Amino acid sequence: MSSKKPLLSVRDLVVEFTTERGLVRAIDGISFDVRHGETMGLVGESGCGKSVTSLAILGLIPSPPGRITAGSIQLNGRELVGLPESEYRKIRGSEISMIFQEPMTALNPVFTIANQMKDVLSRHQKIRGKQAKNRAIEMLELVGIPSPDKRINEYPHQLSGGMRQRVMIAMALSCNPKLLLADEPTTALDVTIQAQVMEQIVKLQHELGTAVVLVTHDLGVVAESCQRAVVMYAGRIVEQAPIIPLFKNPQHPYSAGLMASIPRIRADKVLELPTIPGTVPDLLHLPEGCRFADRCQYADDRCHKEQPSNKIKDNREVACFHPCGEA
Amino acid sequence: MSVLLEVKNLKKHFPIHGGLFHRVVNQLKAVDDVSFVLEKGKTMGLVGESGCGKSTLGRALLRLHEPTGGTVILDGIDITKLEPKALVDARRDMQIIFQDPYASLSPRRTIQQTLLEPLEIHHIGTAESRQQKIEELLDIVGLRKHVLHRYPHEFSGGQRQRIGIARALTLEPKFIVADEAVSALDVSVQSQVLNLISNLQKTLGISFLFISHDLAVVQHISDDVGVMYLGRLVEKATTTSLYNEPRHPYTKALLSAIPTPDPTIKNQRQILKGDVPSPLNPPSGCTFRTRCPEAMDICAAKVPLQVEVGSKNEPHWVACHLYEPS
Repeated sequence: MSSKKPLLSVRDLVVEFTTERGLVRAIDGISFDVRHGETMGLVGESGCGKSVTSLAILGLIPSPPGRITAGSIQLNGRELVGLPESEYRKIRGSEISMIFQEPMTALNPVFTIANQMKDVLSRHQKIRGKQAKNRAIEMLELVGIPSPDKRINEYPHQLSGGMRQRVMIAMALSCNPKLLLADEPTTALDVTIQAQVMEQIVKLQHELGTAVVLVTHDLGVVAESCQRAVVMYAGRIVEQAPIIPLFKNPQHPYSAGLMASIPRIRADKVLELPTIPGTVPDLLHLPEGCRFADRCQYADDRCHKEQPSNKIKDNREVACFHPCGEA
Repeated sequence: MSVLLEVKNLKKHFPIHGGLFHRVVNQLKAVDDVSFVLEKGKTMGLVGESGCGKSTLGRALLRLHEPTGGTVILDGIDITKLEPKALVDARRDMQIIFQDPYASLSPRRTIQQTLLEPLEIHHIGTAESRQQKIEELLDIVGLRKHVLHRYPHEFSGGQRQRIGIARALTLEPKFIVADEAVSALDVSVQSQVLNLISNLQKTLGISFLFISHDLAVVQHISDDVGVMYLGRLVEKATTTSLYNEPRHPYTKALLSAIPTPDPTIKNQRQILKGDVPSPLNPPSGCTFRTRCPEAMDICAAKVPLQVEVGSKNEPHWVACHLYEPS
């Protein structure tokens, strides 16, 4: 908001995994920016590389088998790729935080909430004891946990799924990070609880000015809470655009197909849901040209032979030879 | 239209053991007094949040869970009173498609073995006609014949779910329970499988109980929809009536909680407070009253009865004190 420079800048990032069946390129040259204080959606289907992207930003790619083989990730102008683990530890939790999909596995079952929250605060903010506990209670109150002074002494299994996710949010935001990575934060929750949690994330983001990267497969959630979104397919970015033009006029045939096939409450029943034929390609046997070509109704010879490069126009980017809405 | 399935006061209570002598200390009322009717060739959707008892209900109908009380009448036969042997025969008419296509197919069997098994158990046809039958089925669900000799791990999630559907179809059942059948699939594949199910329903005239937490999916596939909360059916109506005019405060909240995939619409969302109470210790009277924005004194005292609020063409009932004639 204040500065023009992006908060996070990812350039030509490549992440590879060694598997028994061969080398898999989970991410193949992606570039995007996250601006100060914005909420950006990172969308795609399972296996498209969206979670690997967020792990790469946090420096949490399991190595071996994974490795960042090319590209750069800059946070406020500082290069994160190749940073020693000791330095990364100072950044994680204080400058970049993360919320995971399954709060039960992300919280330690043998420690109380107070214990775990104080741990984060003492490591990064150097506040301890009573002071840290008060700060933790404050954070729990902020995320809407009733009677936080009692709840803080409970263990994770004593809380419901929605509550646990709130604790995760409170913990992630307790050191005022500049960037919050939320990986499918509401997927494991029921719709009514999902609505509560998303409302909370959006509210806190406004209050604290944290930039949020929302990794999700749920386009409904993206439409409601993001300003911009990046659509990934088989390890590449196919389209990125501000949210309204992206939903009103998706340019990549994959984004268009994805938008059309979301089941939504309709005023009139449709006989047949629109679909995208076929399935996602195997990352070990990727086609030579555009990765979506086999499933694309507009594909021609060129699409099968050449990879399209990103075209930038009016604040949006699309990697396609035949973008929708253009002749 | 004739009735295929009639469920009356179905109950499934799980005993909770505890204490020194492992006695029954409590009952978990997973399904409590559920009644509904499903017509031939129709699909009924069943929605609700996790733990509301929708899967238990689906399984109790097939006696995969032994019901604690009530009756299930499928095509004139009371399923709940059948002897084990007769039950095996009755199961020909009722099948289930499971949620997780990765867990519901045996990893050690080829697709051919999986699909032939039901026919062999029920001694249907000759080896030759069985083979022909399963090849036809693969064609119906959109897979090619050469997949027969492959193992489940060689398929994608969507393909496995098609195999699960083919398996449910082998015995030409009259009734299929689809328990979260598309929830594990990605959107682009999900819509393919949904279209397949609705085509099957039209061409083969099978009735489905379609269990899902996704209201948009249920709307697309169902003729009627029932909404469950903490073991009870709180509202049931034709799909049109339920989505256009939801009556129960819980149904209203569920519908308003769905994120709209359109960034230009900022809907007035009604967000429910709190969590679902523990089914071990449900609130008295109406179980929804602890989260209900319109709760009154009577809600704690009395269990609400079903009130008919629809019309002749659009039957619709709701169990809520707001609609009870005073």
